[in-house]
Amino acid sequence: MYEICDHTADLGIRVRADTLADLCADAARGLTAVICADPTVIRPLLTESFAVAGTDPIWLLYDWLSEVHAAFEVRRLLFRDVTVTVESKGLRATARGEPYDPARHALAHEVKAITQHELDVCQTADGWEAFFIVDI
Amino acid sequence: MADHTERIEPAAARSFEGPLERVDDTTWRIPRSYKPGMRVDGLIFADDRLIPQLRSDRAPEQVANVAFLPGIQQASLAMPDIHWGYGFCIGGVCATDPAAGGVVSPGGVGYDINCGVRLVRTNLTLADVQPTLVQLVNQLMRDVPVGVGQGGRFVFSPAELRMLMAEGVPFLASRGLAAPDDVACAEAEGMIAGAEPGFVSDRALARGADQCGTVGAGNHFIEVQVVDRVEDERAAAAFGLHVGQICVLIHSGSRGLGYQVCDDALRALRDAPARYGLELPDRQLVCAPVESPEGRHYLGAMRAAANYAFCNRQLLMWQVREVFARMFGRSWESLGMTLLYDVAHNMAKIERHVVDGVAKDVCVHRKGATRAFPAGHADIPARYRAWGQPVIIPGDMGRASWVLVGGPRSLERSFGTTCHGAGRCLSRTAATKAARGRNIQHELERGGVVARCRSREGLAEEQPAAYKDVDIVVDVVHRAGLSLKVARLRPLGVIKG
Repeated sequence: MYEICDHTADLGIRVRADTLADLCADAARGLTAVICADPTVIRPLLTESFAVAGTDPIWLLYDWLSEVHAAFEVRRLLFRDVTVTVESKGLRATARGEPYDPARHALAHEVKAITQHELDVCQTADGWEAFFIVDI
Repeated sequence: MADHTERIEPAAARSFEGPLERVDDTTWRIPRSYKPGMRVDGLIFADDRLIPQLRSDRAPEQVANVAFLPGIQQASLAMPDIHWGYGFCIGGVCATDPAAGGVVSPGGVGYDINCGVRLVRTNLTLADVQPTLVQLVNQLMRDVPVGVGQGGRFVFSPAELRMLMAEGVPFLASRGLAAPDDVACAEAEGMIAGAEPGFVSDRALARGADQCGTVGAGNHFIEVQVVDRVEDERAAAAFGLHVGQICVLIHSGSRGLGYQVCDDALRALRDAPARYGLELPDRQLVCAPVESPEGRHYLGAMRAAANYAFCNRQLLMWQVREVFARMFGRSWESLGMTLLYDVAHNMAKIERHVVDGVAKDVCVHRKGATRAFPAGHADIPARYRAWGQPVIIPGDMGRASWVLVGGPRSLERSFGTTCHGAGRCLSRTAATKAARGRNIQHELERGGVVARCRSREGLAEEQPAAYKDVDIVVDVVHRAGLSLKVARLRPLGVIKG
């Protein structure tokens, strides 16, 4: 689950999930929702695989989101379905989506970067929680 | 299943409760005793009208945090358009002494390296433009790439990008895309020396390949304006400005290339503070000594991205000239579309300043702050030197922008720096909420502004109410002697992403 939060010049995204893997998947969906006005119109036409190394959950999330962001910025890919597996030395992910189509995908914001400001990932009594801010 | 709700954090959670001591009616001090670790005081240029809003976000806390930086000189400064940022606040200024272990911090520049503005003059009047204003704005929206996901028509190979980043606007001049005065009338003549394009990552090059000559989104825009009021007749005449004159303001930066350079630097510097024994109160103040491999790497890449941004604004101006030429059936030269000046407001530069009576080279960080050198400074183009450096201050799209001139006290008080704009006072989500049930485009049109925006969120988030009153911000820097009022311009038409 993700929610978009307040920040003076940009947008924050708070994420809650049962597992760290689901947290990362939902965070990616939250990022996509900031970029694309209506993520439900993204079709699962292609599949991309990702592998991100790291053991610190904060930097793992940050580096993973940076890859999702770069996939749009460099290759113009938008993802709808995201599945993440967290392993001992990092995470692997499979993301299904399609290339950006101006005729079908209304873009909501230009995300310049995933920032480190107030970046946080923590385990809670109910699972996992994360917060990150994207620079608009 | 993903959920999506909006939530507003309580304002009290973000307010600044620390000391703000009045020094004079435009200057407030955060004493270095406020937090152990502050090496110098914080100094904020503001007046009574701005203090309540200033306290309501935690930007003054960031001014205090910057005072921790090794080698910081004189004070940690902030301009009256101050608001919360990453590490440094927006409107933040500091200078560090490299010879004293002074650091360079990417957060003191910002993600959008060399975000800046340029003002283009014309010999057109309001009467010339008003009858076809809607068509003009529509044509600009069609022909100038603006908005998220909008690539431009100028696509550079990696080799060409490296030359562009090394040479800046003169590279475009060699390709017939810049006139001689386009080079002369830009800060640093459109090229920061010491750029190292080889330090720019492949991912940054990929992001920037088709974005040079594109506006982008967020708070970037192109605006057709009319000179509404002249405050200093002689400076305005020297700058080629008069009441009723049509001008075009262009606000953009280094696009995805610059954002990636900053991102790469933050990643590379992640462990630098620990390596250099630096204790920082905020992770986003990550930094390294200027005279270190990491510091030199960042500055080299930053300068390359800065040159990309100068070229971006140059190509945007080139395309705007083409639109005007098509609309009015004359060449841009015969329309008098010359460049007044181009200024950066996100930059780190090595400059010579006098600190405590000693002239020294310092690394001046300006994040959401504009260089404003006073009359006589050697770095001002000869044609303006007797008056001072032109400073261009974009306001919000409903009210006004300003042309100022570098003030007599800027070197002494702020390392030759002034504000950069109006500064936000409403978050994007708060602005969106405030826009519900309203048609911002129609409101602007009733106010005489033709607005075209690529995204439905853009106008709501960038509505005039989301910004401070630029007239107040400019008034403060005028009274503080940082930069003096020359002319006020009001918007007629704007294109945004």
